[in-house]
Amino acid sequence: MLELIKEIHAVFKWHELLWQMVGREVKTRYKQSILGYFWVILNPLAQMLVMSFAFSIILRIPTNSSSNIPYSVFLFVALLPWNLFANSLSSASGSLVNSASLITKVYFPRTILVISTILAKIVDFLFALTVLIIYMIIYQIPVNFNLLWVIPIFFIQQIFTLGLSLFFAASNLLYRDIQYLLSLLLTLWLYLTPVIYPADIVPAKFKIFFQLNPMAVIINAYRQTVLGGGPPNYTSLLIALLLSTLVLFLGLSYFKSREKIFADNI
Amino acid sequence: MKLKQHNPTSLPRVSNDVAISFLHVTKEFSLQTQKTFKEFLPALFFGEKTQDRFTALSDISFEIKKGECVGIIGPNGSGKSTILKLIAKVMSPTSGKIHVHGKVSPLIELGAGMHPELTGRENIYLNGAILGLKRQQIDANFQSIVDFSELQEFLDQPVKHYSSGMYMRLAFSIAIHVNPEILLVDEILAVGDANFQEKCFKKMAEFKKSGVTIVFVSHSLDAVKNFCDRGIYINHSKIVSQGSSKEATQKYFDDTHPVNG
Repeated sequence: MLELIKEIHAVFKWHELLWQMVGREVKTRYKQSILGYFWVILNPLAQMLVMSFAFSIILRIPTNSSSNIPYSVFLFVALLPWNLFANSLSSASGSLVNSASLITKVYFPRTILVISTILAKIVDFLFALTVLIIYMIIYQIPVNFNLLWVIPIFFIQQIFTLGLSLFFAASNLLYRDIQYLLSLLLTLWLYLTPVIYPADIVPAKFKIFFQLNPMAVIINAYRQTVLGGGPPNYTSLLIALLLSTLVLFLGLSYFKSREKIFADNI
Repeated sequence: MKLKQHNPTSLPRVSNDVAISFLHVTKEFSLQTQKTFKEFLPALFFGEKTQDRFTALSDISFEIKKGECVGIIGPNGSGKSTILKLIAKVMSPTSGKIHVHGKVSPLIELGAGMHPELTGRENIYLNGAILGLKRQQIDANFQSIVDFSELQEFLDQPVKHYSSGMYMRLAFSIAIHVNPEILLVDEILAVGDANFQEKCFKKMAEFKKSGVTIVFVSHSLDAVKNFCDRGIYINHSKIVSQGSSKEATQKYFDDTHPVNG
């Protein structure tokens, strides 16, 4: 706990650098490309269209039972936050390694490198979100006040993402195997999370595993609250919050314990 | 400057006029070895258990007073740069104590934080932030940074189009505007043309005059002899001699040029 407060204090003191790093990420990502920032919209859009074709026209996966929501919207609501999670993790895992020249030369809180990468991904996410909003307007999806739940859900997701990112960034610096392990893990994780299928078709005996998977809870909660399915399952959300906080503590303490030897090993 | 011979055993007191003190500092690097998956998991969570260690510095003690200019000399791989990295807090010592009082500005390999795709202007803000400056401080120093670098007309070009000389000028210019109390200089003056080198030395002399502590790593014995008050000569990760810069450079020179017969 003390570690967390100390780190927040240090990052706050260096907030100027944090914003500069986020700006650098966002500004340089699509330099020297013709479509430029449009890629952050094009990418999930193409993914959504192809997956919709595969899973609604060929495989015919049912959407949330009662309402007649088109599969493309059903998928997109879950796919965008999932992409945010997966992209954040994979670029955060390389964030320290890619800044080797800085780490061996200048002192600043190292967590800034991880946090700035995640913040830059959130900027991407917000751009991609406009497509979803346009989509929902076109399909006239009814929304209600439960939509406000996305704010705390998003918060929980970021706690979880940051905790895992700190772990993967630090361990990838020491052993590059981690980045390959992570990409495998993310592929498998996608299928174990109700992104392309609804949570309610999961057989009862496996439900417990989904409850212990914060991403499953988070994704399901987004879908439920955005697509007018009522408030989220409070118990599941609380479990997800507790697990995410635990992951953040563990991730940070791992990161801090390895921080001293970053410059020696990079 | 008065010559001061330091006796490592009588160091524990850290007085107010000391900028940097090293007390029995040892720095070891553990060498990563090939490992099986069975060894990998414990190493990941509990750290390397390997016995393969490389000692970069062993039991080093010295003190640098505020406003002093100290040159560190020695052959390649003797641990000079490791000392600078320890002062900059980029690395932590394996054992021993290091005290650093004052704001450190590393002029170690200039331009580490430069991004080639960003313009000169954007890089000034990015690098300023990396060196710990607030936005207002950069704003206030902006014109002065640009003037020193003489890059006014290229300010809105991406730095990837800069020549290496322009690149160095910009990086140096940013680094010296941090208003450091302790300046770490590592071989940077080896690059750039004669004109620029002269400008850098002039600026460093200015810093020296205004009471900035300077730690200077160089292979140029002349530069150390002329510019620094004191010299520390290290070899094989130990201090061989420390004293006036003249003494230390002389000792190093004698060691590397043994008298024949």
